[in-house]
Amino acid sequence: MLVYMELSMRAGTAPICPYGQAGCHVPTLADLFDRVIQQSSRMHGISSDLHSQFEQYFLPSKNLIGKRKCHTYGILTPDDKENAQRLGREQLTEVILRLLGAWGDPLSQFYQSMSRDQNQDFNHYSSNKAMEISDMVHELRDGVAKMAEKMKLSGVLDNTVSYVSPESFVPFSTVSYYKRGELNPMDHHDLLHCFRRDSNKVKNYLRILKCTTLPGLDC
Amino acid sequence: MTVCARMRRDLGLALLLLLSAAVESDGMSPPGKPVFLGCRSPEKETFTCWWEPGSGGGLPTTHRLYYEREKLEGTHECPDYHSAGKNSCFFDKDHTSIWVDYYLTVVASNALGNATSGHFKMDVMEIVKPNAPENVTLQVMKREDNPYLHVRWEHPHNTDTKSGWVTIKYELRVKHRNNNEWKEYTSGTQTQFNLYNINPGEMYVVQVRCRLDHGSWSEWSNSTSVKTFNYPQNDKPFWILVSALSTVPFLTAMCILVIKRKYVKKVLLPPVPGPKIRGIDVQLLKRGRSEDVSNALIINQGFPSVPAWKDEIEDYLIVSDDVLLPDPHRKKKSLTVAAGFHLNLEIQCKESLGQRDWEKAEERKNGIDTFPPQLPTQKQLCPNVTFVHAEATDQRWPIHDAAAESTVQLLAPTGYVDIQRHKSMQEEADGNEMDYTRVNDGNILILQKDKFPGCMDVQRQEENIPEDYSRVKEVDGDNKVLLQRQSFSADSSCGEKGTPYTDCTNKKPINPHVPGPSKVELIGSGYVDTIY
Repeated sequence: MLVYMELSMRAGTAPICPYGQAGCHVPTLADLFDRVIQQSSRMHGISSDLHSQFEQYFLPSKNLIGKRKCHTYGILTPDDKENAQRLGREQLTEVILRLLGAWGDPLSQFYQSMSRDQNQDFNHYSSNKAMEISDMVHELRDGVAKMAEKMKLSGVLDNTVSYVSPESFVPFSTVSYYKRGELNPMDHHDLLHCFRRDSNKVKNYLRILKCTTLPGLDC
Repeated sequence: MTVCARMRRDLGLALLLLLSAAVESDGMSPPGKPVFLGCRSPEKETFTCWWEPGSGGGLPTTHRLYYEREKLEGTHECPDYHSAGKNSCFFDKDHTSIWVDYYLTVVASNALGNATSGHFKMDVMEIVKPNAPENVTLQVMKREDNPYLHVRWEHPHNTDTKSGWVTIKYELRVKHRNNNEWKEYTSGTQTQFNLYNINPGEMYVVQVRCRLDHGSWSEWSNSTSVKTFNYPQNDKPFWILVSALSTVPFLTAMCILVIKRKYVKKVLLPPVPGPKIRGIDVQLLKRGRSEDVSNALIINQGFPSVPAWKDEIEDYLIVSDDVLLPDPHRKKKSLTVAAGFHLNLEIQCKESLGQRDWEKAEERKNGIDTFPPQLPTQKQLCPNVTFVHAEATDQRWPIHDAAAESTVQLLAPTGYVDIQRHKSMQEEADGNEMDYTRVNDGNILILQKDKFPGCMDVQRQEENIPEDYSRVKEVDGDNKVLLQRQSFSADSSCGEKGTPYTDCTNKKPINPHVPGPSKVELIGSGYVDTIY
């Protein structure tokens, strides 16, 4: 609840009263959607900034043949609009939750690794950003979970959505890859590339979810 | 092999070489390596890639694009070479996947060979650039005194904004027709905008652009322009009438002012009264002529006007020892008092004498100050009265005030003044110690200049008495002065130091004793110089 309240404070709106106390403004589903979409958009923006910063310091790998694998490649995600729309609300929500859950630990490690590394000039700015996205991914996951609960309550969502532990969907080797300890700069770059992509997915999926659930002017 | 065969072989080789050389000299070669120009997705659902062919090679060349994709097995060829124009490949929705890496290559081939471009890696998420917004319209909205510009546009027709797949953000920029400076505004997701800071009578040009999510900005739309209205015209005649009507009384008022300017001046700028000193006519002083000045400064209280000292022909007193010779016509030297300053002793006794008077007296460089003081009947009214020469500065005053011991007994005009000198005859540095007395028509004005602190040495005084001078004992009548007989040694005075006044030689620094009928020397010692 505290995290949820913090999430709402970040969005700059009235405080949330999950228990409906007197004097509190209970947010609507539309409000919740707006908040999580705002948060995910911000998270993607920060990860893009970080990624482009890393790009400056490394050889541009645009033409590298080497195909990198993100640790979330095991999570099946729709790759275009039609597929995403065809997926349905419940599955879409689940995919979102899985993605967010899969990034909690790696980003924490990334932040710790960044703050430990003293060589780089841009470290201070970047480690702040890393801490930010690390916190945001946790908050966003809790926020989307709360929103899913509300959707279930209002009958929009079936009860088939369940909050599943992320480890079960992530290959062990990749997780252990990130959990190895010290991450070198190349690992940082790969990690950021993967996260940039996944945060974009989350943002897009949330928007589709909103517009299919609550079609309106904003869509 | 026979020589002939060898020769035939060599000839064949040579021919072959020549042929190949001939072929090359015509420009036929395998194609040059093509280069990727880039790819672009306008709506995040399809995308197009372009390449640049290499050098032609002279033969018909075909280009083929092959790609591999993440999460897709095998190598595939471009699905559409034509929709997007020459040297391009268009990927439709079925062949487009977001968030996966594509690896593209282009192969150019002709009859002589192939050429392959390098691998080009891309992700559709990164190449999103929409088309420019469409149907930009401008309208001038009238709102009483605050007109504004209403700008309206539409999203690019191929973007899908309904499903939430993309979020479009807009930007617009405005400038004056002749200006080159654009002003930019962010519109967010709205397709309309109001511009309030516009000037009437100007031509405005507006452009809009957009972008999807965090992608690249589109190109600016075509310029749309509109002209704002001028200030409403129907108010003008009214103001013309008002101004015309108001000028008539205005001109009238100006004429009246001009005609009556003197009166106006008197009312608006009343003459400021100048400072007034009793008895002094400022105008006369301003003119500066010595006679007038002296006339101006004398309050006529029975005194006839006093002409300038130098020019004055005095009535002479008849002076004789102990005997009053009633010969009013005999001209004698008499003491003259330099041009009269009327001095109100009462006022000015204790304080420095009127500066103005002194300043006026500066005209006389000889430093003769004469006051015709008003003679009060009390004796020793101002025991400390000292009259300082015009050259005397203010610094002298303290000295005088402290020192003056001379007593001046001021008599009525018909009385006599006994000057008792208490002070030594030491002269001041500038030697302006002069006592002047003026005798005229029975009025004796005795002015004793006394600057010397300390007691007068009567004896010295007596010693310093030149031979020619007599002490006035009594004044009798209009023209008679009784002199006191004194005995003094002629020699003793001469020993005094530095007192030009008392210099008993013929040198008289300030007032040379000129025997003659006309002048009365002013004597610092208060003695009357009799000239026979």
